[in-house]
Amino acid sequence: MRQRDPLKRDQHYPPGTVRAAVDTDLVTPATARALRARLLPPAGQGVFDAAGRTVLVAACDRLLPQADRSAPIDLAGIVEDRLASGVGDGWRHDVLPCDAVAMQRGVAAIDATAHARHGLGFAQLDMLSRDAVLAAVQRGDVEAQAWAGLDPRRFFEELLAAVTEAYYAHPIAQEEIGYLGMADAKGWTEVGLGARAPHEPEPL
Amino acid sequence: MTAPGSRDAVDAVVVGTGAGGAPVLARLAAAGLSVVALEAGREWRAGEDFATDEAAQEGLFWTDERLSAGSDPLAFGRNNSGTGVGGSTLHYTAYVPRAQPDDFHLNRDFGVGFDWPIGHAELAPYYDELERFLGVSGPSPYPWGPPRRAYDLPPLPLNGAAQLMQRGCASLGIRTAPAANAALSAPRHQTGFGHRPACSNRGFCQAGCSTGAKASMDVTFLPLARHHGAEIRAGCFVTGFERNAGGAITGVVYDRDGRTERQRCRAVFLCAGAVETPRLLLINGLANGSGQVGRNLMAHTGRQLWGRFDEMVRPYKGIPGGLISEDMHRPADVDFAGGYLLQSIGVMPLTYAGQVARGRGLWGEALRRHMRGYNHVAGINILGECLPSPTNYIELSDEIDRRGLPKPRSHFSAGENEKRLHTHAERVMREIWAAAGASDVWAYDRFAHVIGTCRMGASAQTAVVDGDCRSFEIPNLLICDNSVFPSALSVNPALTIMAVALRAADRFLGRDVQ
Ligand SMILES: Cc1cc2nc3c(=O)[nH]c(=O)nc-3n(C[C@H](O)[C@H](O)[C@H](O)COP(=O)(O)OP(=O)(O)OC[C@H]3O[C@@H](n4cnc5c(N)ncnc54)[C@H](O)[C@@H]3O)c2cc1C
Ligand code: SF4
Repeated sequence: MRQRDPLKRDQHYPPGTVRAAVDTDLVTPATARALRARLLPPAGQGVFDAAGRTVLVAACDRLLPQADRSAPIDLAGIVEDRLASGVGDGWRHDVLPCDAVAMQRGVAAIDATAHARHGLGFAQLDMLSRDAVLAAVQRGDVEAQAWAGLDPRRFFEELLAAVTEAYYAHPIAQEEIGYLGMADAKGWTEVGLGARAPHEPEPL
Repeated sequence: MTAPGSRDAVDAVVVGTGAGGAPVLARLAAAGLSVVALEAGREWRAGEDFATDEAAQEGLFWTDERLSAGSDPLAFGRNNSGTGVGGSTLHYTAYVPRAQPDDFHLNRDFGVGFDWPIGHAELAPYYDELERFLGVSGPSPYPWGPPRRAYDLPPLPLNGAAQLMQRGCASLGIRTAPAANAALSAPRHQTGFGHRPACSNRGFCQAGCSTGAKASMDVTFLPLARHHGAEIRAGCFVTGFERNAGGAITGVVYDRDGRTERQRCRAVFLCAGAVETPRLLLINGLANGSGQVGRNLMAHTGRQLWGRFDEMVRPYKGIPGGLISEDMHRPADVDFAGGYLLQSIGVMPLTYAGQVARGRGLWGEALRRHMRGYNHVAGINILGECLPSPTNYIELSDEIDRRGLPKPRSHFSAGENEKRLHTHAERVMREIWAAAGASDVWAYDRFAHVIGTCRMGASAQTAVVDGDCRSFEIPNLLICDNSVFPSALSVNPALTIMAVALRAADRFLGRDVQ
């Protein structure tokens, strides 16, 4: 029964499933509204200056690379919109400043770390060096003065979570992983192992 | 009652309309009392407002910022704090096991923790009533705990995660049963609300049930309360209280759209949840002669274990917590007090991705590749005891929020008992997942529910309220929410919160009606 290890087999689903479903009566109006709104590009302003935004864009490119997409999801823009809205997630680490300030300072500290180690701004680094900087921040293995007053590991976790959630909230990322939970109008009659409704996508 | 304006005084104001406030409101209204609920959140329409989408569900969270300190800082918002007419039940997953008799006296049994002044015997009739009224679907007979009446509704169908946990447990000799869920397996009529359809297995209880199948307060107790004449004022954030020379509360002060309003009353039921209730009392310097307001903050041990399976799980389908085992309620030969229950869990993609990012630290191509296996993922988690500790509490910080009120700061660090319990539970869960055929198994540490902070007890020296939820100091102040729990209980809290609240309302009525 278990010859095919799904770990070794990278799953790919057909593109277009979610976008197609949203325009049918498989999806309730409330859900379709929410998903369509998310297909619109973000404003991406209000929190970062141009230098900060460049670093954030470069970090998003490595945290969630989208080289395979002709029109990548603007993750930095979504993250900035969220911060600009002032609506947080209801809590923050006592050791971190408020979300927007933490993000501004963290992004600047990433850039300072790149300068200290490579003599270049983060966005000017090649991919491998960018990854090395990010990995060092994740481990907390960074120059103290650039990170004064900001816990690098906690900051990295918050940044990564924000970027990850921006990505997987997007309908296009949801079809990438074969998710069709938004098809809520009828619900599901079969929910057990291996059950598949006709409109649920199968891996290619 | 001859003072000017007393015409406007109601018998009781209920602050908050969640698992604690809603049952109180309905009970008092049904007894003919004039009651007003003040709710900070907005009103939602179950059928129209709830998108089946995780990001869109954010409107249901309490987003006023809270500061989290300690070695295991508590995540609020999505993790445990709702707002709106219905409180956190708008996005609870409706898993409603009863507490067992020994849950109420951990100290008697283990010499640690703090015992309840009331017990299972006092609450059992309320459990019976609640399961019938809410429409709980569950297995009969129920394999654990004392004999009990059968559930009216048969259990909901098992999803992939539930079947996998069943398979793993069966091969290890661990008993399982379909879980009791406050979601309908058959349609029914609900007084004051109307038709509630059967659960359509959308698996999205955390985003607000769009059909009314889930027994959140907005489709059960709150319509009943309105049916009996209660008024529910949404968008009203309570900030303070007016008192007379004798110390009794005579009115509640609240903010509505930036205006300060007041509601005169003869009694107050504070049901704002285990962060906002102590915060309000601390801000107003009320009812804290014991020094216990804000203390004894607890959060259930809730470690999760994820794994990948060859089979297609499609973890977004079916009621999320489909299966239960209470075999670890009091496990033998262990080095900790109390125990835990085991629960299978479905999961939505955003929640899962966020946990992969935080818990495994995966990013880049590794993260995307992992997530492409989402449809093969299933989880189990525990819900276990947490002991009160002097290091864990809620206090006021010196940061001021947009209303000009101090933000609350929580301190939470898992103690030795929680760590040992988690270690035991992770071993058991790994055995189950291995037996079920999982690969790429990983654990995610989590503490669920905010509990304690205004505990009930036998004496004014050690507790904030008595067993009837009455303040020891302010004669007409009662607290009915998760903050009154003196111990965490090794089950999910909502059903017991409702039971405690209904009992408190009955005791209140008994005393005053006579
Ligand atoms: C995602 C999630 C899943 C859960 N799943 C389960 C589960 O499966 N089973 C289970 O048993 N429990 C579950 N819970 C927990 C359960 O929902 C809570 O324990 C329960 O609702 C708490 O009841 P409460 O009355 O203490 O507070 P709440 O239900 O949170 O209600 C408090 C209310 O008070 C209002 N309020 C706060 N401050 C003020 C103020 N100053 N003025 C006016 N109003 C105010 C809030 O807006 C809120 O509506 C879950 C919780 C969450 C968040
Ligand atoms: S799984 Fe059932 S109870 Fe939960 S949200 Fe969906 S329909 Fe409602």
